[in-house]
Amino acid sequence: MHFLEWIEQSGFSVWVRESGTFWSYPLIIFLHTMGLGFLVGPSIVICMRICGFAPAVSLGPMEKLYSVMWVGFWINVTSGIGMLMAEATTKMISPVFYIKLVFIATAVWMMHLLRKSVFRNLAELEMKSLPMTSRMMAGALLMCWAGAITAGRLMAYIGPGSTPR
Amino acid sequence: MNYIDLFSKWLATTPLSNIVSDSRWIVPASQVVHFFGLALLFGMAGMLDLRMLGLGKGIAIGEFSRRMIPWAGAGFLLNVITGFIMFAGSPFMFAHNRAFGFKMLFIAAAGLNVLFFYVTGTARKVEALGSRDDAPRSAKIIAGLSLFLWVGVMFWGRMLPFLGNSF
Repeated sequence: MHFLEWIEQSGFSVWVRESGTFWSYPLIIFLHTMGLGFLVGPSIVICMRICGFAPAVSLGPMEKLYSVMWVGFWINVTSGIGMLMAEATTKMISPVFYIKLVFIATAVWMMHLLRKSVFRNLAELEMKSLPMTSRMMAGALLMCWAGAITAGRLMAYIGPGSTPR
Repeated sequence: MNYIDLFSKWLATTPLSNIVSDSRWIVPASQVVHFFGLALLFGMAGMLDLRMLGLGKGIAIGEFSRRMIPWAGAGFLLNVITGFIMFAGSPFMFAHNRAFGFKMLFIAAAGLNVLFFYVTGTARKVEALGSRDDAPRSAKIIAGLSLFLWVGVMFWGRMLPFLGNSF
């Protein structure tokens, strides 16, 4: 049997897709939305601050929001894998899914770069207005989240196996 | 026939309703923007709530509250607009969905909670706080409620296609 079919026919995948209980697909897709809030939410706060909004709010302590973002990130990796397994034969060949993945990978990479360049750099942290490179990266990070959300939401409407929900 | 049914019936006769239901892309596009609004609203309001509850001490809470809350409002407005567009496309489908009723209830409760934040003077107290200060107990209660209610709004929104029979 083809690998993707094998995943899709596994006991877990069938349960997620077909059991019809709240605890399967509905709970997983809710967790995925909540995780989005906890990952992208704080990231928007940090990026807007770097871009120059609310300059009176010191940037340094916002590094603590990274732990919130990682909680959101891992909730979404786990719930995402659950949904992917349930519909492996269609979603794993959907270009929309890979576009989403590229946006997320780029966003997480830029989160990491900003942590190294801005948060680990005291001189930059104390500036009221940050250097252009940092601002541009924060802007690009926001664009990546917009791209990831767009692709993710559109997976329900376009591409193989799309069902509006 | 109740007011919601009357309103739905009227809405279904409007051009907006026809345009949305005839279009293949208006609902998906509204969904996308609805999730942008979610991230903006929850990012701003949720992070202020977490700070009021004690996470991220050092973040200038007073200034944050004053500068970021308008952006939470912008996210909410975005979602009222896109939500209304989707509702207009098939009003009966939503009006008779239990999850939709709960979602509206939770939004109303979250709105009341924001109102309490301002009319009880808690907002003023929070806005006067410095970066290392702890928020007063009243602010912590409002923050906890706010997180619960907004996550609840997401929950009922996400349950729309699964609860009831309409989708």
